[in-house]
Amino acid sequence: MADSESGISNQVLEPSSTHPLGSPLVPTLQNVVSTVNLGCKLDLKFIALHARNSEYNPKRFAAVIMRIKEPKTTALIFSSGKIVCTGAKTEQQSLLAARKFARIIQKIGFDIQFKDFKIQNIVASCNMKFPISLVQLAAFHGKFTIYEPELFPGLIYRMKTPKVAILVFPSGNIVIAGAQKRDHIFQAFENIYPVLTSFKRNYK
Amino acid sequence: MATFELYRRSTIGMCLTETLDEMVSNGTLSPELAIQVLVQFDKSMTEALESQVKSKVAIKGHLHTYRFCDNVWTFILQDAVFKYEDASETVGRVKIVACDSKLLSQ
Repeated sequence: MADSESGISNQVLEPSSTHPLGSPLVPTLQNVVSTVNLGCKLDLKFIALHARNSEYNPKRFAAVIMRIKEPKTTALIFSSGKIVCTGAKTEQQSLLAARKFARIIQKIGFDIQFKDFKIQNIVASCNMKFPISLVQLAAFHGKFTIYEPELFPGLIYRMKTPKVAILVFPSGNIVIAGAQKRDHIFQAFENIYPVLTSFKRNYK
Repeated sequence: MATFELYRRSTIGMCLTETLDEMVSNGTLSPELAIQVLVQFDKSMTEALESQVKSKVAIKGHLHTYRFCDNVWTFILQDAVFKYEDASETVGRVKIVACDSKLLSQ
Protein backbone atom coordinates (compact mmCIF):
# COMPACT_ATOMS: atom_id res chain seq x y z
CA MET A 1 0.00 0.00 0.00
CA ALA A 2 1.29 3.43 -0.86
CA ASP A 3 0.76 5.09 2.48
CA SER A 4 2.49 8.31 1.59
CA GLU A 5 -0.08 8.89 -1.12
CA SER A 6 -2.90 9.10 1.39
CA GLY A 7 -1.59 12.53 2.29
CA ILE A 8 -2.40 12.05 5.95
CA SER A 9 0.22 13.41 8.22
CA ASN A 10 -0.18 12.50 11.86
CA GLN A 11 -0.50 16.14 12.66
CA VAL A 12 -3.85 16.36 10.91
CA LEU A 13 -5.23 13.66 13.15
CA GLU A 14 -3.69 14.75 16.42
CA PRO A 15 -6.39 15.50 18.94
CA SER A 16 -6.72 19.19 19.43
CA SER A 17 -6.06 20.71 22.81
CA THR A 18 -8.65 23.42 22.31
CA HIS A 19 -11.56 23.03 24.63
CA PRO A 20 -14.53 25.29 25.05
CA LEU A 21 -13.42 27.96 27.45
CA GLY A 22 -16.77 29.17 28.63
CA SER A 23 -18.04 25.82 29.86
CA PRO A 24 -16.94 22.95 32.00
CA LEU A 25 -18.47 20.58 29.44
CA VAL A 26 -16.82 19.01 26.43
CA PRO A 27 -18.75 17.24 23.65
CA THR A 28 -17.86 13.54 23.31
CA LEU A 29 -17.09 12.21 19.85
CA GLN A 30 -19.58 9.47 18.98
CA ASN A 31 -18.99 8.65 15.35
CA VAL A 32 -16.38 9.38 12.69
CA VAL A 33 -17.07 8.62 9.03
CA SER A 34 -14.22 8.44 6.54
CA THR A 35 -13.74 7.44 2.93
CA VAL A 36 -10.79 6.02 1.07
CA ASN A 37 -10.15 4.94 -2.50
CA LEU A 38 -8.39 1.63 -3.11
CA GLY A 39 -7.82 2.59 -6.73
CA CYS A 40 -8.97 -0.67 -8.31
CA LYS A 41 -12.21 -2.38 -9.26
CA LEU A 42 -13.39 -4.93 -6.71
CA ASP A 43 -15.29 -8.19 -7.18
CA LEU A 44 -17.76 -7.85 -4.32
CA LYS A 45 -19.02 -11.43 -4.40
CA PHE A 46 -15.47 -12.69 -4.20
CA ILE A 47 -14.84 -10.43 -1.21
CA ALA A 48 -18.05 -11.53 0.54
CA LEU A 49 -17.10 -15.17 0.08
CA HIS A 50 -13.51 -14.82 1.23
CA ALA A 51 -13.71 -12.32 4.07
CA ARG A 52 -15.27 -12.90 7.46
CA ASN A 53 -18.10 -10.88 8.90
CA SER A 54 -19.37 -9.63 5.59
CA GLU A 55 -22.80 -9.26 4.07
CA TYR A 56 -23.54 -8.88 0.39
CA ASN A 57 -27.10 -8.66 -0.84
CA PRO A 58 -26.96 -6.90 -4.23
CA LYS A 59 -30.77 -6.84 -4.42
CA ARG A 60 -30.88 -4.55 -1.40
CA PHE A 61 -27.60 -2.65 -1.48
CA ALA A 62 -24.77 -2.58 -4.00
CA ALA A 63 -21.96 -2.86 -1.47
CA VAL A 64 -20.36 -5.39 0.82
CA ILE A 65 -20.98 -4.54 4.48
CA MET A 66 -18.01 -5.67 6.54
CA ARG A 67 -17.32 -5.27 10.25
CA ILE A 68 -14.21 -5.53 12.38
CA LYS A 69 -14.05 -5.67 16.15
CA GLU A 70 -11.03 -3.50 16.82
CA PRO A 71 -11.63 -0.61 16.28
CA LYS A 72 -15.33 -1.51 16.30
CA THR A 73 -16.30 -0.21 12.86
CA THR A 74 -18.36 -1.03 9.80
CA ALA A 75 -17.23 -0.54 6.23
CA LEU A 76 -19.23 -0.24 3.04
CA ILE A 77 -17.13 -1.61 0.22
CA PHE A 78 -18.16 -0.64 -3.31
CA SER A 79 -17.16 -2.30 -6.57
CA SER A 80 -15.59 0.98 -7.70
CA GLY A 81 -12.92 0.42 -5.07
CA LYS A 82 -14.19 3.10 -2.74
CA ILE A 83 -14.74 2.37 0.95
CA VAL A 84 -16.81 4.20 3.52
CA CYS A 85 -15.74 3.49 7.09
CA THR A 86 -18.15 4.33 9.90
CA GLY A 87 -18.45 3.88 13.64
CA ALA A 88 -15.00 4.93 14.83
CA LYS A 89 -14.79 7.15 17.89
CA THR A 90 -11.76 9.17 16.79
CA GLU A 91 -10.10 10.24 13.54
CA GLN A 92 -7.06 8.05 14.26
CA GLN A 93 -9.28 5.04 14.88
CA SER A 94 -11.14 5.73 11.63
CA LEU A 95 -7.83 5.81 9.74
CA LEU A 96 -6.64 2.64 11.46
CA ALA A 97 -9.93 0.89 10.68
CA ALA A 98 -9.82 2.01 7.03
CA ARG A 99 -6.28 0.63 6.80
CA LYS A 100 -7.42 -2.66 8.32
CA PHE A 101 -10.27 -2.99 5.83
CA ALA A 102 -7.86 -2.19 3.00
CA ARG A 103 -5.46 -4.82 4.33
CA ILE A 104 -8.23 -7.45 4.44
CA ILE A 105 -9.08 -6.74 0.81
CA GLN A 106 -5.41 -6.77 -0.12
CA LYS A 107 -4.94 -10.16 1.58
CA ILE A 108 -7.86 -11.58 -0.42
CA GLY A 109 -5.81 -10.80 -3.51
CA PHE A 110 -6.59 -7.37 -4.88
CA ASP A 111 -3.85 -5.01 -6.01
CA ILE A 112 -4.86 -2.02 -3.97
CA GLN A 113 -3.61 1.45 -3.10
CA PHE A 114 -4.67 3.59 -0.17
CA LYS A 115 -5.43 7.02 -1.54
CA ASP A 116 -7.58 10.08 -0.88
CA PHE A 117 -8.33 9.14 2.74
CA LYS A 118 -10.67 11.77 4.08
CA ILE A 119 -12.67 12.32 7.23
CA GLN A 120 -16.18 13.09 5.95
CA ASN A 121 -18.19 13.57 9.10
CA ILE A 122 -17.68 13.81 12.83
CA VAL A 123 -20.58 13.52 15.25
CA ALA A 124 -20.37 14.48 18.90
CA SER A 125 -22.87 14.72 21.69
CA CYS A 126 -23.11 16.44 25.04
CA ASN A 127 -25.53 16.88 27.90
CA MET A 128 -25.98 20.48 29.02
CA LYS A 129 -27.40 19.32 32.37
CA PHE A 130 -30.30 21.78 32.19
CA PRO A 131 -33.55 21.75 30.18
CA ILE A 132 -33.82 24.07 27.18
CA SER A 133 -36.82 25.94 25.86
CA LEU A 134 -36.79 25.09 22.16
CA VAL A 135 -39.79 27.31 21.42
CA GLN A 136 -37.95 30.41 22.63
CA LEU A 137 -34.70 29.39 20.99
CA ALA A 138 -36.56 28.97 17.69
CA ALA A 139 -38.27 32.34 18.14
CA PHE A 140 -35.00 34.25 18.67
CA HIS A 141 -32.80 32.35 16.20
CA GLY A 142 -35.36 31.76 13.46
CA LYS A 143 -32.80 32.29 10.72
CA PHE A 144 -30.72 29.32 11.78
CA THR A 145 -33.26 27.00 13.30
CA ILE A 146 -35.87 24.50 12.26
CA TYR A 147 -38.22 23.35 15.00
CA GLU A 148 -41.17 21.18 14.05
CA PRO A 149 -42.10 19.28 17.23
CA GLU A 150 -44.81 17.40 15.33
CA LEU A 151 -42.21 16.00 12.96
CA PHE A 152 -39.14 15.70 15.18
CA PRO A 153 -38.80 16.47 18.89
CA GLY A 154 -35.43 18.18 18.49
CA LEU A 155 -34.53 21.61 17.20
CA ILE A 156 -32.10 21.74 14.28
CA TYR A 157 -29.65 24.60 14.47
CA ARG A 158 -27.73 25.10 11.24
CA MET A 159 -24.61 27.02 12.20
CA LYS A 160 -22.86 28.97 9.42
CA THR A 161 -19.34 29.02 10.86
CA PRO A 162 -18.24 26.39 11.48
CA LYS A 163 -20.70 24.79 9.06
CA VAL A 164 -22.33 22.16 11.26
CA ALA A 165 -25.81 21.10 12.28
CA ILE A 166 -26.69 20.99 15.95
CA LEU A 167 -29.63 19.02 17.25
CA VAL A 168 -30.95 20.45 20.49
CA PHE A 169 -33.38 18.46 22.61
CA PRO A 170 -35.60 19.83 25.38
CA SER A 171 -33.82 17.57 27.90
CA GLY A 172 -30.58 19.46 27.35
CA ASN A 173 -28.97 16.78 25.22
CA ILE A 174 -27.30 18.14 22.12
CA VAL A 175 -25.78 16.47 19.06
CA ILE A 176 -23.28 18.23 16.81
CA ALA A 177 -22.98 16.69 13.34
CA GLY A 178 -21.57 17.47 9.95
CA ALA A 179 -18.12 18.58 11.09
CA GLN A 180 -15.09 17.53 9.10
CA LYS A 181 -12.63 18.56 11.75
CA ARG A 182 -12.64 17.96 15.48
CA ASP A 183 -12.01 21.65 16.06
CA HIS A 184 -15.25 22.51 14.28
CA ILE A 185 -17.12 20.48 16.91
CA PHE A 186 -15.47 22.42 19.74
CA GLN A 187 -15.89 25.78 18.01
CA ALA A 188 -19.53 25.05 17.36
CA PHE A 189 -19.98 24.05 20.98
CA GLU A 190 -18.32 27.23 22.20
CA ASN A 191 -20.62 29.23 19.93
CA ILE A 192 -23.79 27.46 20.97
CA TYR A 193 -23.03 27.21 24.69
CA PRO A 194 -23.92 30.81 25.67
CA VAL A 195 -26.99 30.66 23.41
CA LEU A 196 -28.27 27.54 25.13
CA THR A 197 -27.60 28.89 28.62
CA SER A 198 -29.73 31.92 27.78
CA PHE A 199 -32.61 29.64 26.81
CA LYS A 200 -32.43 27.53 29.93
CA ARG A 201 -35.97 26.59 30.80
CA ASN A 202 -37.15 27.86 34.15
CA TYR A 203 -39.74 25.92 36.00
CA LYS A 204 -42.41 28.13 37.42
CA MET B 1 -40.02 -26.85 -7.28
CA ALA B 2 -36.57 -25.62 -6.45
CA THR B 3 -34.54 -27.50 -3.88
CA PHE B 4 -31.55 -26.90 -1.63
CA GLU B 5 -28.66 -29.32 -1.78
CA LEU B 6 -27.92 -28.29 1.78
CA TYR B 7 -28.86 -31.62 3.39
CA ARG B 8 -26.56 -33.73 1.21
CA ARG B 9 -23.71 -33.01 3.59
CA SER B 10 -25.65 -34.34 6.59
CA THR B 11 -24.85 -37.83 7.86
CA ILE B 12 -27.90 -39.32 6.16
CA GLY B 13 -27.15 -37.46 2.94
CA MET B 14 -23.49 -38.55 2.92
CA CYS B 15 -24.54 -42.18 3.49
CA LEU B 16 -27.00 -42.01 0.62
CA THR B 17 -24.41 -40.45 -1.68
CA GLU B 18 -21.89 -43.13 -0.71
CA THR B 19 -24.36 -45.94 -1.42
CA LEU B 20 -25.38 -44.41 -4.74
CA ASP B 21 -21.70 -44.04 -5.73
CA GLU B 22 -21.16 -47.69 -4.94
CA MET B 23 -24.20 -48.78 -6.92
CA VAL B 24 -23.18 -46.66 -9.89
CA SER B 25 -19.65 -48.10 -9.93
CA ASN B 26 -21.12 -51.61 -9.60
CA GLY B 27 -23.30 -50.94 -12.56
CA THR B 28 -26.52 -51.63 -10.66
CA LEU B 29 -27.64 -48.02 -11.10
CA SER B 30 -27.28 -45.56 -13.95
CA PRO B 31 -25.66 -42.22 -13.03
CA GLU B 32 -28.78 -40.39 -14.25
CA LEU B 33 -30.98 -42.35 -11.86
CA ALA B 34 -28.55 -41.70 -8.99
CA ILE B 35 -28.82 -37.95 -9.62
CA GLN B 36 -32.60 -38.26 -9.68
CA VAL B 37 -32.52 -40.02 -6.31
CA LEU B 38 -30.41 -37.21 -4.85
CA VAL B 39 -32.82 -34.57 -6.15
CA GLN B 40 -35.70 -36.53 -4.60
CA PHE B 41 -33.69 -36.68 -1.37
CA ASP B 42 -33.40 -32.86 -1.40
CA LYS B 43 -37.16 -32.52 -1.81
CA SER B 44 -38.01 -35.15 0.77
CA MET B 45 -35.68 -33.67 3.38
CA THR B 46 -37.23 -30.22 2.96
CA GLU B 47 -40.74 -31.65 3.16
CA ALA B 48 -39.98 -33.88 6.12
CA LEU B 49 -38.36 -31.09 8.12
CA GLU B 50 -41.33 -28.88 7.37
CA SER B 51 -44.16 -31.32 8.15
CA GLN B 52 -42.83 -34.02 10.43
CA VAL B 53 -40.45 -32.26 12.79
CA LYS B 54 -42.21 -30.47 15.59
CA SER B 55 -39.39 -30.09 18.13
CA LYS B 56 -37.68 -26.77 18.55
CA VAL B 57 -34.08 -26.10 19.48
CA ALA B 58 -32.65 -22.84 20.75
CA ILE B 59 -28.99 -22.20 20.00
CA LYS B 60 -27.10 -19.57 21.93
CA GLY B 61 -23.40 -18.84 21.70
CA HIS B 62 -20.68 -16.33 20.96
CA LEU B 63 -20.81 -15.26 17.32
CA HIS B 64 -17.28 -15.67 15.99
CA THR B 65 -17.93 -15.09 12.30
CA TYR B 66 -20.88 -14.37 10.08
CA ARG B 67 -21.38 -14.12 6.34
CA PHE B 68 -24.29 -13.39 4.05
CA CYS B 69 -23.75 -14.11 0.38
CA ASP B 70 -26.05 -15.52 -2.31
CA ASN B 71 -28.93 -15.51 0.18
CA VAL B 72 -27.13 -17.93 2.47
CA TRP B 73 -26.25 -17.02 6.03
CA THR B 74 -23.22 -18.70 7.55
CA PHE B 75 -22.52 -18.40 11.25
CA ILE B 76 -19.67 -19.80 13.29
CA LEU B 77 -20.51 -19.95 16.97
CA GLN B 78 -18.18 -20.64 19.86
CA ASP B 79 -19.29 -22.33 23.06
CA ALA B 80 -22.81 -22.70 21.81
CA VAL B 81 -25.54 -24.07 24.05
CA PHE B 82 -28.21 -26.17 22.34
CA LYS B 83 -31.41 -26.15 24.35
CA TYR B 84 -34.25 -28.53 23.58
CA GLU B 85 -37.27 -29.34 25.72
CA ASP B 86 -35.53 -29.74 29.07
CA ALA B 87 -32.05 -30.83 28.09
CA SER B 88 -29.11 -28.74 26.94
CA GLU B 89 -25.70 -29.42 25.50
CA THR B 90 -22.64 -27.24 25.02
CA VAL B 91 -20.58 -27.46 21.83
CA GLY B 92 -17.22 -25.74 21.38
CA ARG B 93 -17.63 -24.74 17.75
CA VAL B 94 -20.71 -24.80 15.56
CA LYS B 95 -21.16 -23.82 11.95
CA ILE B 96 -24.69 -22.88 10.94
CA VAL B 97 -25.64 -22.66 7.29
CA ALA B 98 -29.08 -21.24 6.70
CA CYS B 99 -31.08 -20.65 3.53
CA ASP B 100 -34.29 -18.71 3.09
CA SER B 101 -37.11 -21.22 2.71
CA LYS B 102 -39.21 -18.55 0.98
CA LEU B 103 -36.93 -18.96 -2.03
CA LEU B 104 -38.23 -22.54 -2.44
CA SER B 105 -41.78 -21.48 -3.16
CA GLN B 106 -40.71 -19.09 -5.91
